[in-house]
Amino acid sequence: MSTNSDVAIEVDHVYKTFNVFYDKTNTIKEKLLFWNRSKKEVREILNDINLEIKKGEVVGLIGVNGSGKSTLLKLMTKIIYPNKGKIETYGKLTSLLELGAGFHPDFSGRENIYFNASIFGLTRKEIDKRLDQIIEFSELEGFIDNPVRTYSSGMYMRLAFSVAINVDAEILLVDEILSVGDQHFQEKCFQKIEQLKEEGKTIVIVTHSMNSVTRFCTRAVWLHEGRIKMDGNVKEITDTYIKETA
Amino acid sequence: MKNIFKNIYNYRELLKTNIKKEIRGKYKHSFLGVLWSFLNPLLQLAVYAIIFPLILKDAQENYVIFLCVALIPWTFFSTVVTQSAAVIINNSNIIKKVYFPREILPISVVTSATVNFLISTIIILFFILFYRAGFSWYIVFYPFILLIQYLLSLGISFLISSLTVYLRDLEHLIGVAIMMLFYATPIAYSSDSIPGEFQFIMRLNPMAYIIDAYRDIFYYQTMPELKSLGILLIITIALVVIGYIVFNKLQKGFAEEL
Repeated sequence: MSTNSDVAIEVDHVYKTFNVFYDKTNTIKEKLLFWNRSKKEVREILNDINLEIKKGEVVGLIGVNGSGKSTLLKLMTKIIYPNKGKIETYGKLTSLLELGAGFHPDFSGRENIYFNASIFGLTRKEIDKRLDQIIEFSELEGFIDNPVRTYSSGMYMRLAFSVAINVDAEILLVDEILSVGDQHFQEKCFQKIEQLKEEGKTIVIVTHSMNSVTRFCTRAVWLHEGRIKMDGNVKEITDTYIKETA
Repeated sequence: MKNIFKNIYNYRELLKTNIKKEIRGKYKHSFLGVLWSFLNPLLQLAVYAIIFPLILKDAQENYVIFLCVALIPWTFFSTVVTQSAAVIINNSNIIKKVYFPREILPISVVTSATVNFLISTIIILFFILFYRAGFSWYIVFYPFILLIQYLLSLGISFLISSLTVYLRDLEHLIGVAIMMLFYATPIAYSSDSIPGEFQFIMRLNPMAYIIDAYRDIFYYQTMPELKSLGILLIITIALVVIGYIVFNKLQKGFAEEL
């Protein structure tokens, strides 16, 4: 267990399994009657993952579907917990996993900014300070006082992304959402991520796009069937990855 | 230990908005709005104040005050218990998507119910003034009794909110349990009208002590039993600690279980 101040995320011998129930017993009656009868299959998602991500690194997590990338990201945000092993994160963390979590359709865009940002752990003052910046980034100035239910899905995502990206976290976890909005807005998101990278934030990106990996990342980690297959040089890993999965 | 408080403090804005949402959101689409916080207990009080004197042989004098000093804290308690059973499940969409300290949810249930209770206390004061029953200085114990009830509610809320996620039947069981507990608590009757062989129920029921204490300070205008309240305070603190430990253990599986 290192306590180096330059470490942002530490993944230490992490195992994660999911129980897949065929028929789940959820009631007391069923639990008492069928306590040993519920058919379940233990599916191994992550198997002994060790990873140390330094401050300021931009890590691209790659791998085919079902390789455990998203699960690893969810573990880092503490939405779920490992069965074995430990994950420590040092510094304020924001995840762009599921954008717009907790958006309330009846409230206006402005109110939802407050609510969403408070879920990310911001105080009222901090939100006040960032409000203009968030609205400007979302380019929703004309709609910000309309209820969110009247938004198109693109507008919805833009608002959600703008909140999450402006939280000022030291660690940013991004899951395949660089496909937000139209070409113009996407480019803007890319630039924002470049900017955050230059500011020395730690970023972990899960993506299938090797272009994004080569564009942003300083390090690539390739997950395969719940294990780390390769870790290190971006160019080398993306090349091998493309060759092997093509 | 320090981390627990720091974490909650960092998320104080979320706690605040949650409490506000809980108080205001409850009556959002109703015509009378927040007025229902008064109307609900008043109507309930009216029903009981008419029915119980008819059944009970010797009703207390000023039965309305006698009843309302007990019924209003009881409503506070039963609201916390029923809402706790649903709070995690109702918020499953955000629990599955973002991290935030999960204990914010039970804490905001208990705190918003406390705010509602403080507002409803006006009803108690109103009836005491209306019947010209007068006040005694024993009212200074009100915050102390409220503190005990807050801690009791919080401990129970931690336990019920997390356990229901794994045992969904609990949500339905609780409705029945609350109804039974209503009759096992000296609300419609006084605690000393219970025959000796059943007195043990009163002694095992923490809400009986709390209701008796409210009644002592508002209705009988005597000193509440400080010794039993002191013991109860220690028990409720222990309950909060145990409740938190259980909650914290179980919350790790919320996202997967929901």
